[in-house]
Amino acid sequence: MRPADGICLRVSGLTKRYGGLRALDAVSFEVRRGEVLGLIGPNGSGKTTLFECIGGVLPLDAGRVEADAALFYLPDSIAPWPSQSVGWALDFVAGYFGAPSGLREAVIEALALAPLLTQRIGQLSKGQRKRALLAVGLLTSRPLVLADEPFDGLDLRQTRDVAEALRSFARDGRTLVLSIHQINDAARVCDRFVLLSGGTVRGEGTLSELTARAHTSTLEEAFLALT
Amino acid sequence: MRSRKWLLAKEWRELMASRAWWLMLLAIGPLVGVSFISAVTAYGELSGVNGTAAGVGEAFSPLIGIWAPTFSACELAAAFLLPFVGIRLVAGDRQSGALKIELQHPLSSMTRLSIKAAVLMAGWLIATIAPAIGVALWAGYGGSIYAPELLTVIAGHLLNAGLTIALAATAAAVTEHPATAAIVTLTVTVGTWLINFAAAVSGGWWERAAAFTPTAMVAEFQRGLWRADLTLVAISLIVAGLALAAIWLRIGDAVRRRLRRSAIVMGLLALAIAGAAMVTASWDASESRRNSFPEAAEAALQSIKGDLRIEAHFAPEDPRRSDLEHGGFRKLRRALPRVRIDYVSATSVGLFEQTADRYGEIWYELDGRKLTSRVTTAEGVLESVFTLAGIGAPPESDEDVFRGHPLAVTPRGAGVLFYGVWPVSVAALAFFMLRRK
Repeated sequence: MRPADGICLRVSGLTKRYGGLRALDAVSFEVRRGEVLGLIGPNGSGKTTLFECIGGVLPLDAGRVEADAALFYLPDSIAPWPSQSVGWALDFVAGYFGAPSGLREAVIEALALAPLLTQRIGQLSKGQRKRALLAVGLLTSRPLVLADEPFDGLDLRQTRDVAEALRSFARDGRTLVLSIHQINDAARVCDRFVLLSGGTVRGEGTLSELTARAHTSTLEEAFLALT
Repeated sequence: MRSRKWLLAKEWRELMASRAWWLMLLAIGPLVGVSFISAVTAYGELSGVNGTAAGVGEAFSPLIGIWAPTFSACELAAAFLLPFVGIRLVAGDRQSGALKIELQHPLSSMTRLSIKAAVLMAGWLIATIAPAIGVALWAGYGGSIYAPELLTVIAGHLLNAGLTIALAATAAAVTEHPATAAIVTLTVTVGTWLINFAAAVSGGWWERAAAFTPTAMVAEFQRGLWRADLTLVAISLIVAGLALAAIWLRIGDAVRRRLRRSAIVMGLLALAIAGAAMVTASWDASESRRNSFPEAAEAALQSIKGDLRIEAHFAPEDPRRSDLEHGGFRKLRRALPRVRIDYVSATSVGLFEQTADRYGEIWYELDGRKLTSRVTTAEGVLESVFTLAGIGAPPESDEDVFRGHPLAVTPRGAGVLFYGVWPVSVAALAFFMLRRK
């Protein structure tokens, strides 16, 4: 089933249990086409589990995920094809997922990957690997990309550059859902936010909507007030 | 199609980057070398002493004297080295997280696994260059090569490698860690040896099951016998293994769903094995016809219309039973697929049954006529059956006797090739390929 116009992903009542532990409890939210949505939550709030359920990696116990476009889930803390060079891995992803011509070069330029192309993925630093992984996600050319902790391991300058790169891909029509535990990073790049804590959604909206609802002036304060 | 090509290219690069594969390649040369050199030495020594004569011709069959021992190194590598290469290639994707990326492509999990298995088989074929060098050396020494029997031996080892790859893939898919997968794979291998052991001690159903273990299958092919039932069972096991691996590697499936699908695969496998076990077709590819009676005798046997029933009173561990089975009954089953042969004994060793009535007797029955014999040779079995059927034994022809191919040579150059050139070449190639980006 497809969500309504303007909505490219709708999550309704998503529940996931690990034995007796309820990791996600009736999570519901929507993603609008062309936006950058930040999924904000502390460590252990269920962000990765939510992404894995939406991305089809984990089976749902209850609820529904409706998407009107193919999505790609980019996991955190992985180092795929460690013995291959970044350049070959990007060639592979572009070829395997059928990326349009020119996208590979655009992604390499946007994420400043040119100096890393001949390095093996297994030998990259955490920040370099994160950029290479983001390139993988963007190269799949799926209209909707879910990236788990895209700024984890990046320094301040890299975070700003990557945030700008992600925004430029969003302007070109990609929809991005980013799981972020650093609230300042989220405020820098996202159009709207979903606040997740203890496996439940505590708030959803733009920065002004959330601060108004929490009677605060910053996203950080709104998050603390609502969770 | 484009995605498949990219996946194939990726799997190939992953194999080339696999230290496990290069180590297997490095080890298989000297392993084959030891087997080949000792086989040629023994063959040469025997050939140089007395030459050959009718009746001992089989001693000078390259199938038994050269190919079986040389290729036995492949069996060792398939049991102890190839599983680690397979596990590395399958489990590596899960460990690195590549699986979570690749499985988001609509390509089916089974297609992915099949591409991986094809690359692993290609890797195995490269490893079999080592025994191929043995074949080339043998030809260079002036040795006889009978292509059908050599191809049969190679086919047996390819099927065995396929089984190992499927087993390794299943173990790597079902378990979370490569070390656990390695233990599972070796446990299954040891388990098949236990079945063989139980068959030798207990006979009966164990014996039937043991006929389908990889060791028994390879042994049949090494005798130059291409059996349709073994081939079909091996192919069924390979397909089922890959299907199970595909089920357990899929992302997003609940365990219950995976178990349900696995049960369906196992059910289909059981049906396939049961069906394959009923197929009796086989092809004796050996030049010496070591798995067949003489052609004239086979033609005479096929003229028997009634149902032949045989009851052999031997314990499983009685060496006469082994003589009878391998010398006469195996050939009889091929010539007369309708024959029913049962072994009867009260104990496994037969030591304390020797004095019992009937022990050591072979009862033949055809259309109500009965005959008892104690002869366990192939000739004795034939004579009993012909007597019972009232058919005169066809005259033996000198042309039917396999004279063998004696060759009094030493394995010159083999040591340098297998112990020197092979390891150095593989190490140099590995150094180059592992540095490639």
